Amino acid sequence: MDLLRRFALGEIDAFETLARQFQGDIYAWTVRIVRDPGIAEDLTVETLWRIYRARRQFRPDGNFGAWARRIATNLAIDHLRRGRPEQSLLTEPAEAPPPDQVVQRETRETIQQAFRRLPAKLQVAATLALVEERPYDEIADALGTSVGAVKVRVFRAVRMLRKQLGHLGVRS
Amino acid sequence: MTEHEMLSPEMNEPEARHIREALKQTFPAMNTELRRDLWPAVLRKLDARPVQVPWYDWALIGLSVSVFLFFPRLILLFAYHL
Repeated sequence: MDLLRRFALGEIDAFETLARQFQGDIYAWTVRIVRDPGIAEDLTVETLWRIYRARRQFRPDGNFGAWARRIATNLAIDHLRRGRPEQSLLTEPAEAPPPDQVVQRETRETIQQAFRRLPAKLQVAATLALVEERPYDEIADALGTSVGAVKVRVFRAVRMLRKQLGHLGVRS
Repeated sequence: MTEHEMLSPEMNEPEARHIREALKQTFPAMNTELRRDLWPAVLRKLDARPVQVPWYDWALIGLSVSVFLFFPRLILLFAYHL
């Protein structure tokens, strides 16, 4: 009996093999969205736990990796919706930086804040498409939607971000 | 022209391209390598039993409901002291 069929029947050994095989992929996908290694590890564990709980819904002839990525994406979106305080992505320099760097840093912080105010689904689409430059069909598959819908989300994210940055006095 | 540049006519505007560049500078590339095996943590989570309410808590809930059913005015007294 193949691995996926044994997993769907609830064999823990089969699940362990799959978990060890796919944990790296799930983590890599999640950390691209949430952009925090610690949170991405927690969400990867949560994803694998949910995968095992939902094993009866998995068709053994299906694509396990794509299914896992969709569950991981949904969890990452839930995390962004909860709006847990984000760890600053910008590290503090030891000495006072030159004025130009201060302005750049402030601009980046403003952009980061404006981006985090976008709806979670728009954040995910924009992060994966614009920052990570993942293919649109891959993003669409993970979000369980069409390529067209992803493009619309990215466009809306850019438009909203441009508007917010305009209000905050940052020229894009 | 890449797929990202073909997103839409609006996305080809220099302004939209600047937003993309600004985002890439704001959110630096992440290290996507997993640093440790997460299977032990998954196994612990799978083994964790759901939280069970002890019998004396159920007894207390039952007693409270019974008291409020037989003496409804106590609800007002209880609410006053909350």
